[in-house]
Amino acid sequence: MKKTNPIGGRIFIGLTFLFLYLPIFLLIVFSFNAGDSSAVWRGFSLEWYAALFHNRLIMESLYTTLLVSLLATAIATAAGTFAAIGLYSLSRRRRDALLVVNDIPMMNADIVTGVSLCLFFVAFFQGWGTFAQWFNGVQSAVELPVRLTLGFTTMLLAHVAFNIPYVILNVAPKLRQMDKNLVDAAQDLGCTWMQAFWKVILPEIKPGIVSGALIAFTMSIDDFVISYFTAGSSTSTLAMRIYSMTKKRITPEVNAVSTLLFLSVLALLVLNNVREIRQERRADRQEVREPSLMEKLSMRLSSPAGKWVRRGLTAAMACGFVVVVALLTGATASQPVVNVCSWGEYIDEELITQFEDATGIRVNYQTAESNEALYSLLKSGGADYDVIVPSDYMISQLMEEGMLEELDYSRIPNFQYIDERFRNLPYDPENKYTVPYSWGTLGLIYNANMVEEEPHSWGALYDDQYAGGVLLINNSRDALGAALLHLGYSVNTTDEGEIREAFALIAGASRRGVFQGKVMDQVFQKMEGGNAAIATYYAGDYLSMLDNQADGVDLRYVIPEEGANWFVDAMCVLKDAPHYDEAMEWINFIASTKANLANMDYIWYASPNAEALEQYPAYYEELYGEELDPELYKIMAAPAEVLERCEMYLVLPPATRALYNELWVQLGT
Amino acid sequence: MSKELIRLRDCVMSYGDEVVLDHINLYINDKEFLTLLGPSGCGKTTTLRIIGGFLSPTAGDVLFDGVRINHVPPHQRTVNTVFQRYALFPHLNVFENVAFGLRIPKADGSGRKVKVSEQEIHQRVMEMLEVVNLKGFEKRPVSALSGGQQQRVAIARALVNRPRVLLLDEPLGALDMRLRKDMQNELKRIQQEMEITFIYVTHDQEEALAMSDTVVVMDGGRIQQIGTPEDIYNEPKNAFVADFIGESNIIDGIMRADGVVEIFNRRFQCLDKGFAKDEPVDVVIRPEDVDIVDENAGQLRGTVTSVTFKGVHYDTIVDFYGFKWLIQTTDYCPVDSRIGIKIDPDGIHVMKKSAYSGMFGDYSSYSEEYEELDVVEPDGEDGEESDSREGGHEE
Repeated sequence: MKKTNPIGGRIFIGLTFLFLYLPIFLLIVFSFNAGDSSAVWRGFSLEWYAALFHNRLIMESLYTTLLVSLLATAIATAAGTFAAIGLYSLSRRRRDALLVVNDIPMMNADIVTGVSLCLFFVAFFQGWGTFAQWFNGVQSAVELPVRLTLGFTTMLLAHVAFNIPYVILNVAPKLRQMDKNLVDAAQDLGCTWMQAFWKVILPEIKPGIVSGALIAFTMSIDDFVISYFTAGSSTSTLAMRIYSMTKKRITPEVNAVSTLLFLSVLALLVLNNVREIRQERRADRQEVREPSLMEKLSMRLSSPAGKWVRRGLTAAMACGFVVVVALLTGATASQPVVNVCSWGEYIDEELITQFEDATGIRVNYQTAESNEALYSLLKSGGADYDVIVPSDYMISQLMEEGMLEELDYSRIPNFQYIDERFRNLPYDPENKYTVPYSWGTLGLIYNANMVEEEPHSWGALYDDQYAGGVLLINNSRDALGAALLHLGYSVNTTDEGEIREAFALIAGASRRGVFQGKVMDQVFQKMEGGNAAIATYYAGDYLSMLDNQADGVDLRYVIPEEGANWFVDAMCVLKDAPHYDEAMEWINFIASTKANLANMDYIWYASPNAEALEQYPAYYEELYGEELDPELYKIMAAPAEVLERCEMYLVLPPATRALYNELWVQLGT
Repeated sequence: MSKELIRLRDCVMSYGDEVVLDHINLYINDKEFLTLLGPSGCGKTTTLRIIGGFLSPTAGDVLFDGVRINHVPPHQRTVNTVFQRYALFPHLNVFENVAFGLRIPKADGSGRKVKVSEQEIHQRVMEMLEVVNLKGFEKRPVSALSGGQQQRVAIARALVNRPRVLLLDEPLGALDMRLRKDMQNELKRIQQEMEITFIYVTHDQEEALAMSDTVVVMDGGRIQQIGTPEDIYNEPKNAFVADFIGESNIIDGIMRADGVVEIFNRRFQCLDKGFAKDEPVDVVIRPEDVDIVDENAGQLRGTVTSVTFKGVHYDTIVDFYGFKWLIQTTDYCPVDSRIGIKIDPDGIHVMKKSAYSGMFGDYSSYSEEYEELDVVEPDGEDGEESDSREGGHEE
């Protein structure tokens, strides 16, 4: 045998662990960073941990996560334990076959589990709807709900489903180790089967049950994919919340919450391993030891004297369970609620609290990733939102498909403050369905230290002198829009020749290696870090990049002379929204000048509220004690003459949309 | 002996095509020490489990005190069991193991659940620990006890409930030889002291003979013979019983007349009567009933092929006309010496021919047979390794 090289081996192991743990280590370090940069160390601080506990969206999703994990663990542990006992009583061949079946869900890709569970629930809801309609039709004593949606309950069921195999996996070996005759012995000594279970089987397999429960709990907390597919639109776990928070940039807050998540999962794993090691040692030594407190307690509980205590505990647990379920289902029924779906980092969360305090209406605030994601969610019927905030072109599409409800403007007095410029826009010509939320422009962002002269034209995007330094926006509409503008065409053209010409422009530049890559959210890291020279992106995001740019980076924003796209995101209410009245209150609240000022300050996108637009510089000065740079404010809220040069996206006919998709796919990655 | 307590009437136990018990008829008297004896897979443990209530027979009746109890669950039977490998509760200490049964409220005559007071539990457990010589061990965890001590706990745990019948499933199987002998005496003592019925399952014939009032020899799901230990040993009913109980040379013979049997064309005096003239029979000759004499003085002549020193005696294998016998004698005969033998009439036992004829009693492959006897597996243990049938019916 070849002698191994100990030093080489150690270095290899060291590198492996470095590779595994360095990213996590960095994340933990940066969660303590004083600044809000995730690249530059600005000193130690706990501010992000403090911020975490004041972030209601995070706290809410933490609560959801803990609740679903605990409930799923409890249910799966009970079900899995009994299933394991059932399996154990089968013949060896059948048991082994079933154990293999049990293993499959654990090895199966989460995404398959998630999608299939989602499909299953939706199919069930469909069937249920039909049944409930029929049932409500034939009798009037009980009114069954017709429309069921994905939500906490479905996510809980999914968690229970994927946790059960882990419990079985942990309990089965303990049953195998257990002397079969123990149950016989207990029955022989006067126990019924149930008594034998409590007094003999349970204490014997308890270590397996506890580690099964711990693993189930860890898996539940850890899960993202399956939750994502089964939680529906109005429930978010912590992992889902973190994901939506990273849409734009990884904030230190995300670092902090990820650190906490990592540490708690680590703690659970360590706990489990320590337990196992202790058990092994105990088995080795067969030591005479004092029973632990828990064991004493369980002994006492299993004695006849503990019967009432035990019954009490069982009853209390059952009551607790019922209460929790009732709270989850009933609370929503009794307390007025409004389900809002917006974008990540798109609201000053203080506003939600203020609204709730003022009106007593609970806001269930969720976020979608993109207009397209929102659209498919709505189409799948998995969403039960009241208010959504889609962009202009998506609004037209939803309107065309009859998915929006008209608004009752008499109940939205704050609509009066919406600037004339943002009323009766092409997507809603008579302004019957929408109240604008924010607006902005799409322009060129460039690093002044990396370009010779200030670019004035979209042509810079295809210019060989910036080869390797241009970031192409990974969104066919925006990318082709810029090319169309550069060629002097409308962004809304349906002329195939023009579109193909625009595409050829992009494809040519791509072949010549002008583009560094196709990006969306990575644009922040790349531009802030000075890794790219030019990009196409939104004005509001430019402003937040500006706050985070590294030393030696000088980011500027320009609306090219050919003009640009400008966009409006507006609040709409979905057809048959379950909480129409509450939705009106929410829209009115968000349309207020006060709310618009707060939001403008928070998200750096311009407000459509005329008063807010006028008051913002003063508001800024009061808040930060310094003057708002008028040039920056012009970028944020483009003046009328700039806006005149800009064009809004209209919804494209299906054939054109298909062409866009086809061309975009051709471009490849 | 006293009155009948348990009766199995035409009990059949089958799993699909496989018949595990084939029309068992058996009664057990009160305060009797009865042993079910047989090789692995003979049905003895199944019989015990039927009496214990863990199985109910496919056909036939189980009567207890004249009442049919086929479907009465174990916890409602006044029967307790000592399990093969004790089945002590590992999470409880000695005291709590013994107290286990007492802590379960039992229905009294009127169906009301009654609890035994803590004081009574304490008293009864301590009494029972004294009976099994485990005073002072009450606080020990059972995992810290030796095999013999665990065995005693198992017995105490069963007996503390004052059962009418104690079932013991190979209780000494896991103990070493010395301990086994001690425990045999102890069990016998306890049975007599407590005056209860013991039904004992074993594959060890010595154990069965030493302890039992009645021995039930089983094989292939059938009862082969029921009788006192002396009956079983001296008057085996067929070649199986003769072979299974002690060592036997089983030879084909022909009954020439009452009291005259012919072996190897030689006539021997015997005490057996009642066979047809010239009926072919199996003849059992116990190894210790053969006297070695001078070659010329013997009724049969043979050559010694092997000698093994066993302490009290020599195991001498002698070849008679190509048929090897085992003879146990204190006389040493060297290998290859020619010897003669004499058998007294009471050393010869004649049996009717049976399905087992010709299968046993030849010592041609002596050493292998010895090994085979030593490593007979306890009954239930083959459950895991064997086919799915076992897994299917073991609870």
